[in-house]
Amino acid sequence: MTSGSARPDAAPPGLDVGPFLTGPPGPFPRVPLSDVLERRWLHYAFITTDEQQALIANLATLGAEDGGEPIRTTVLLAYHREHGWACSQWHAYLPREPWTSFRSPGPPTTFPRRPDFELQSLAGTPAVALHLTSTSTPAPAGVSHFHRTHWKRWQAQPGVLAAGRWDDGMVPARETVAVGYHERVHGRWAWPEMGGWVFGFCNQLGDRLDGPPSWAVVFALLQPMDEARDHTAMVMVWRRGRMVFFVPRRALRVSVAGQLARDRVVTTPSLAPLLGTFATAPIPAVLCIDGYQGGDWIQLRFRCRDAARLVVPSETSLQPFSVHEVIGDMEVRLRMNGSSQLFASPGIVEFAGGAAERSWSALR
Amino acid sequence: MHSGRLRYGAPLRPAGLEGEAISIESAADLLARTVEALVRRAPSIAADAARELGSIMLALHFGDGTHATLQARHNSLMVTRALAQGPVECFFDDRSLLSLYDLERRPSQILEQGAFDVRGTAEQVLAVWRTFQLLAQRAAGLRSVQALWLAYRRSLGLDVAVGTGGSGPDPGPLGEVPDAAGLLRGTEPGAARSASVATTRVLWDRRAGEGWWTLEGPRDADLFDIMETCRRLAADEILTRIPQRHPVDSLYRLMREYPARGGKGLRPTLCIATCGAFGGHSEDAVRIAAAVEMFHNAFLIHDDIEDESLNRRGKGCLHMEHGIPLAVNAGDGLNLLAVETVLSNIDRLGLARTLALIDEIIRMCRESIEGQAIELGWIRRRHIPRRDADYIHMVTKKTGWYTCRSPCRLGAIAAGHTRPRELDLLGNVFGQVGIAFQIQDDILNLVGEEDLYGKEPLGDLLEGKRTLMLIHLMRSVSRRECRALLGWLGRPRSERTLAESRHVLRRMERSGSIEYARAVAARHAARGARLFEETLGFIPQSEDKAILGQVIHYVNTRLL
Repeated sequence: MTSGSARPDAAPPGLDVGPFLTGPPGPFPRVPLSDVLERRWLHYAFITTDEQQALIANLATLGAEDGGEPIRTTVLLAYHREHGWACSQWHAYLPREPWTSFRSPGPPTTFPRRPDFELQSLAGTPAVALHLTSTSTPAPAGVSHFHRTHWKRWQAQPGVLAAGRWDDGMVPARETVAVGYHERVHGRWAWPEMGGWVFGFCNQLGDRLDGPPSWAVVFALLQPMDEARDHTAMVMVWRRGRMVFFVPRRALRVSVAGQLARDRVVTTPSLAPLLGTFATAPIPAVLCIDGYQGGDWIQLRFRCRDAARLVVPSETSLQPFSVHEVIGDMEVRLRMNGSSQLFASPGIVEFAGGAAERSWSALR
Repeated sequence: MHSGRLRYGAPLRPAGLEGEAISIESAADLLARTVEALVRRAPSIAADAARELGSIMLALHFGDGTHATLQARHNSLMVTRALAQGPVECFFDDRSLLSLYDLERRPSQILEQGAFDVRGTAEQVLAVWRTFQLLAQRAAGLRSVQALWLAYRRSLGLDVAVGTGGSGPDPGPLGEVPDAAGLLRGTEPGAARSASVATTRVLWDRRAGEGWWTLEGPRDADLFDIMETCRRLAADEILTRIPQRHPVDSLYRLMREYPARGGKGLRPTLCIATCGAFGGHSEDAVRIAAAVEMFHNAFLIHDDIEDESLNRRGKGCLHMEHGIPLAVNAGDGLNLLAVETVLSNIDRLGLARTLALIDEIIRMCRESIEGQAIELGWIRRRHIPRRDADYIHMVTKKTGWYTCRSPCRLGAIAAGHTRPRELDLLGNVFGQVGIAFQIQDDILNLVGEEDLYGKEPLGDLLEGKRTLMLIHLMRSVSRRECRALLGWLGRPRSERTLAESRHVLRRMERSGSIEYARAVAARHAARGARLFEETLGFIPQSEDKAILGQVIHYVNTRLL
């Protein structure tokens, strides 16, 4: 991890960026990371079909400082409905490049083969060895640019199936099937300027476990610290693997209510206290989104159940940043082409933000 | 990971929101009950409002013809349902009165013609305005207060608006789809739909928004509910830990008696809230809070024997009901169980924190025993100290440590904070609070309601306890009276009568000893509040820290 260096607020050295940067220079995506603020992520989140367990994994490559090698961090966070959370440190063991549908485009494959997503805490658990299968089309890429030289690009894909060995260390290891979400992120930002975001998804299982979900929903709200014009929001709906409804930010409203009880929030990884982690804002108890396009509309209501506060070391200061992974229950009502749908399924929502608001020095 | 316990502060339903009907007789009644609710449930709001009001006596006239007087008293507010002559007079009719509480209205709407009037000097009027502004902003968040104002609205036949606060964004062409706020309103089963229940916040309204992390700052807590919840959590833990084995009637049933009789829940609240304020989980502090309560109950059993007390928490003392030998033994049993409970934290908090807890517990017990010895020594030698400082020293050791200082320090340790400097700063704040608590305890023994207080009336006088009021009285009376009092106090308890004690109480009232003690208690609480603000900045703002702030003001406004 890098820390304590001066934050490079300017553009990467030697680069004429013009008024704004909206993405990496050069041939995307195979361009070297320019500096310590630039990063690539592969993000995975799954919920088992019996709704008892979930996992969230983030594999990050961070730009190098002073021309050195890029830094890689890998975190595996496991959840069990009865037993809570278990988390690796920031360097979970990744034996080989993980599966990603974005690196291997092509038609969905469902035939069994060896695990292509293996991740294990150095402590032994949590650990997963899963075979991942893409069943749904990816979403269009989203872009957010802010603070002139900061930007974030991401692309999500719901309906990813996972089958294989699952050992969260809280209950005996087992072979299981899960369905979830995959996302790639490429961006350049510092956490205070990033502001915060709310990302989330749910998959409504279909009749067959080896096919795409009946319905899937993905939403995102990015709120950089700059003006509201830089805020980005979207909701997307998939029907049997095909994206059928997209609601842009000008047709969306996002609200929250209440607070998730603090005892439902666990701070992870276990080394987090060493970073001088400070308190963050309470996580909302309920998140609601409503949006429309013409005569079609969608309502989402997500009730938060349990949360893990994943503490992320900052690249630019000694003060860490926190991402809250929240498990809960999603209810979705939507009306499309004159017919109404109502479904409910477990979902995962990520609340991140507040790095600029709090610091120990400010509180003293 | 999650034990499934209820989190403190959340589970209790405030009276009047569900089931229980509230009847408000008049506007003056509404104001009086609002202030009473604040003093009881959120004393720091009342203290802050009292600070704004200062020495002003505010005469209030209402549109329904009722009157009231509002004034500050010892870091708190007091309402009299009758009119007194005051330098500032206010008139509210129902429109302006409800607008005062309804933050959705603009000031220009509040000040309608004939709806509001105020008279006084500009400086005093502004002080009153700040007082009402503070009450409107902070008291409106308490559900017990909301219930009162909701009931008043209903009594006037007004519709109850359900809003999300502010004019809100243009809803847009949504057709039949209800907005997100509408969805949210249906999310909390049993949630009160009062005029200012505005917990819904918009993150993004198609044009602008604000981050979720900026939405909820620390809020004033309903201390009454929180203390009850913490008390119950600790009591449940105690009752779980007392073994189900023989001898039941001679030991274990007796050990259950005092914990089962209730109490205020001050120590568990301090312990659990401090743990939360330092970033820990409240559940981590429940066991150590239970251990402190066990020590406390053991001290009480022995203390009641030493003081020859008759009643405790509304019933006969343990030694009165079961005899001194069994009571002493039950107290010993509770002490042993408390040690065992402290040690049992190893599996939850680890060895290092548990060792730190043990260290703190040893200090707590030593201070308490030394303090008790000082007072018993005074009584034994028929000595009454002349200086307040001697009394302060004694109560700091006897009560201050195990009632306030140590519960806070133990809570911080349970959260993993063992830095001596930070623990000392915390202890300094709550040391002041402990002194104020004990003085108020002594006052309540003399002038409190017996049903609430739970001990026999004037028990401290009958026991010859060296209270601040007694010390002040001895300084105030003539030498002849002083000798008479010393002679009376030197007699065995059985030879002191209730009638004589009432006479001493009347003498105290005439000498201003009780008012003097109230002022000293208020001074220590105010000093604690100042130190809290000035020296505990290293604790981030949170609901738990707000609870600790409330406790400081609770100690000298409490009724039990």
